[in-house]
Amino acid sequence: MTTRKLVFTDTSLCTGCKACSVACKAWNDLPPEKTDFVTSYQVQKETTAKTWTYISFHEKFANGKMTMRMFKHQCYHCADPSCMKACSSDAIYKTESGYTLIDHDKCIGCGYCVSSCPWEVPMVDPETKKSYKCTGCIDRVENGMLPACAFTCQPGAIQFGEYNEMIKKARIRLAEVLEFYPNANLYGEKLMGGTNYVYLLLDKPDTYGLPKNPSTPWSLTLWKSVIHPLGGVAIGAAALAVIAGVASNAALGNYRAKKENAENSHMEGGE
Amino acid sequence: MEPTFKKSDKIFRFTVGERVAHWSHAISFFILLFTGLGMISMFFRPAVGIVGGIDVARNIHRVVAVLFVVVFVVNLFIGEGGRNVRAWVREILAFDKKDLAHFMIFPFEFFGLHRPYPPQGKFNGGEKFNSALMITGMVCLVITGFMMWFPTAIPRVILQWAYPAHAGFALLLTAVLLAHLYLSLLHPDSNQALKGMFNGYVPAKFAYEHYEKWYYKVKSEENVKEQAKREIAADG
Ligand code: HEM
Repeated sequence: MTTRKLVFTDTSLCTGCKACSVACKAWNDLPPEKTDFVTSYQVQKETTAKTWTYISFHEKFANGKMTMRMFKHQCYHCADPSCMKACSSDAIYKTESGYTLIDHDKCIGCGYCVSSCPWEVPMVDPETKKSYKCTGCIDRVENGMLPACAFTCQPGAIQFGEYNEMIKKARIRLAEVLEFYPNANLYGEKLMGGTNYVYLLLDKPDTYGLPKNPSTPWSLTLWKSVIHPLGGVAIGAAALAVIAGVASNAALGNYRAKKENAENSHMEGGE
Repeated sequence: MEPTFKKSDKIFRFTVGERVAHWSHAISFFILLFTGLGMISMFFRPAVGIVGGIDVARNIHRVVAVLFVVVFVVNLFIGEGGRNVRAWVREILAFDKKDLAHFMIFPFEFFGLHRPYPPQGKFNGGEKFNSALMITGMVCLVITGFMMWFPTAIPRVILQWAYPAHAGFALLLTAVLLAHLYLSLLHPDSNQALKGMFNGYVPAKFAYEHYEKWYYKVKSEENVKEQAKREIAADG
């Protein structure tokens, strides 16, 4: 039986070497892209169809001391993903191991997932017209290997394992770190139904530029859970009214009356 | 006094421009709806196979959307037809007591129960309501549709609300359209109006019974025209 997995990223151990980003490209056959200068060591603004993970750098200068925080961005593999709800083509699905995957045979590149993800992760490739994001290296994981990023991570910041074990480990590590970083927290465990990528952050999420309470957009719930079914009901009600209209006109003899009328005026020589 | 009618008595109702506005909208609506339904639910997805699949359907949706907007807007500024289409919009905005009176008897008439018919202008209260919904809905569909077409050109939050708005108006207008189709095709009294949308003329008796105010207005305009013709002839 497959069990739920967890990737725990302990940002207190991250050195910002970006080897995870390279390993991801190597394993998943993703070409390099032209990069930009974003800030300090950061050259990538967002995940793209060809860059599924990157590190963001957050400098802080306080009390005469410089600190640098790092964060590894990629798909969070939510238990209750917005992208899956938004998908027009039933192309996005969950695996038992907890991964959120895109079936590229079904994906039509409509971009509904792109605008629905609270972290803006999936992106449509303008050439292939399909949506892409981190697969969690499902092909490696299902064959007993570590995800490429975790396998590569030299300081051991990216850790992979069974969900229950890993989440325990994460809590223990949080308790240790809290001593030195009073704002430290676990990010992801309670978000979007529980993500399968959980982070130990050294400071509040917004200091990493992360949304504090990412959630399914209201507009998405309205769209898929209210408008779609309600629209169907409205059309059904209109169809019933039409049937009732024809039936009552027939019962009242209005169709017959009209035909007779037409024949009468004919006989009067009106034509 | 009640006028008497021969069956052949006709009255001119819709200029070419008005008919172009109606049919360009009607045809585009069906195509946009059909191709859009392929996006709205996997239930309808197999149906778009007849145009060559969902990718083709999505392109058709865009092409027809542009064609519709161009044809409709250009037509709005051409000659008498365009003037009349603009007048139609103004008439809808001038929703008054007589329209409300029609609104009250409409549910009865819908099911074939006759009630004293309050004299109506060129468009009755029900038609005005239908038109108002259609115009509002189509304007919203066009705006949200172009947002969905160019998602990176607009702020994300606005885009997120454009999706439910587009789907909502499409479905609402489809429900309204069903009632419209019933009244224009299947309803024993009101379906005489259909002729007007094909050749421009409706039976005079029908016009008198359903649009009394408009009927007398057209008649008096005709009289004025004939009077003028006679005077010109006399001068010549
Ligand atoms: C006239 C301007 C319009 C434009 C520019 C437009 C554009 C679009 C676009 C870009 C989409 C997104 C789907 C995709 O990427 O292929 C869409 C979806 C859709 N459109 Fe339109 N559209 C227009 C009018 C209409 C009209 C009049 C209807 C209904 C009769 C309609 C019905 C739909 C439906 C049902 C969807 C699917 C919505 C969903 O997935 O919930 N559209 N449209």
